[in-house]
Amino acid sequence: MNGGATMHELSLAHDMTRIIGNALGRKVHLDRVNITIGPLSGISPESLRFCFTEVAKIEGFGEPELVINLTRAKLICLDCDTEYEAKDFYQGCPGCGSISRRILSGREFTVDSVELEEGND
Amino acid sequence: MCDEVTEQKVDITTSVMSKNDRFAADNRELLGGKGIYTLNLISSPGAGKTAVLESMARFFGPRMAVIEGDIQTRRDAERIEKAGCQAWQIETGGACHLDAHAVNHALSHMNLDPDSLQLMAIENVGNLICPSGYDLGEDMRIGLLSVPEGDDKILKYPSLFSSINVLVINKMDLISHLDFDVDRAIDECRSLNPDVLVFTVSAKTGEGMEEFCGFVENQFSG
Ligand SMILES: Nc1nc2c(ncn2[C@@H]2O[C@H](COP(=O)(O)OP(=O)(O)OP(=O)(O)O)[C@@H](O)[C@H]2O)c(=O)[nH]1
Ligand SMILES: [Mg+2]
Ligand SMILES: [Zn+2]
Repeated sequence: MNGGATMHELSLAHDMTRIIGNALGRKVHLDRVNITIGPLSGISPESLRFCFTEVAKIEGFGEPELVINLTRAKLICLDCDTEYEAKDFYQGCPGCGSISRRILSGREFTVDSVELEEGND
Repeated sequence: MCDEVTEQKVDITTSVMSKNDRFAADNRELLGGKGIYTLNLISSPGAGKTAVLESMARFFGPRMAVIEGDIQTRRDAERIEKAGCQAWQIETGGACHLDAHAVNHALSHMNLDPDSLQLMAIENVGNLICPSGYDLGEDMRIGLLSVPEGDDKILKYPSLFSSINVLVINKMDLISHLDFDVDRAIDECRSLNPDVLVFTVSAKTGEGMEEFCGFVENQFSG
């Protein structure tokens, strides 16, 4: 694993617990954390999962399951105007094979919702 | 207790980058309000960010100020000061990228008031992965690639090279010793990033630096 990448996901995991703590107004044990990651966000889901598990525990959120909704990027081909979806940077246009394109979306990274452990409401 | 009330789902719907993006907007407003044009310079360690900035410091003099991001040491800031510009060193203490909050803090320590100041250059921590997701409030993001690193790096780090406005290929004085294919690098960068502008330079010999500095100068005095 790339050491640099791990550091980056570690600070993102801290940002996630800060956002969750602010939204809930307190620290409680969580069952599940639902997030969305775009394939062009530069985030490694596995590295983030590893970091988040540690950070959530240390920050007092228990051991929630991290559920990652991995979206597809939306791109538009600059050679034939086809709008298409891709799961990474390398997937070319399905119409003409070109990888010359403009990015419409795919860099998103959001905390969508959390589910509290039973008896925590 | 009945089952329905024990499961509680709380909607959050917040971008994880929202705090960074708020500080980036603040930085943009602060610097833009003073008429200062801002660059964010990103490359792998040793590609020549500080060397390029030293060369720019000689061109721009006190019209430019520099924020240096390093994990440790003030060395790069000292090099910039020696070349004739105000410099502020951020020591990230381990973090592999700068964020907009750290830049905001640095700006609060710098003298942004001289009428002469027109350009703020931020040297990010040497890393091709982590800095790419962090908007610092820059007007122009520059990716620097040096020829000894190889021309395959652009497609290996698409997250960065798709996010830059300008690609600077550095250490061109070494090109004859290496099999770096400049045209291939440019083609691959354009395929990820159709609007990218490209400059080839040597910070060591000064080759291409005047053209590059002139281009930067045109962005704020055009
Ligand atoms: N031959 C040659 N060497 C260069 C050139 N630019 C920089 N170097 C050398 O490359 C080495 C690294 O340059 P720096 O400017 O410190 O690189 P950097 O990107 O700022 O490095 P970090 O801040 O550590 O990430 C130094 O030994 C420079 O003298 C160039 O155009 N040609
Ligand atoms: Mg440096
Ligand atoms: Zn096409």
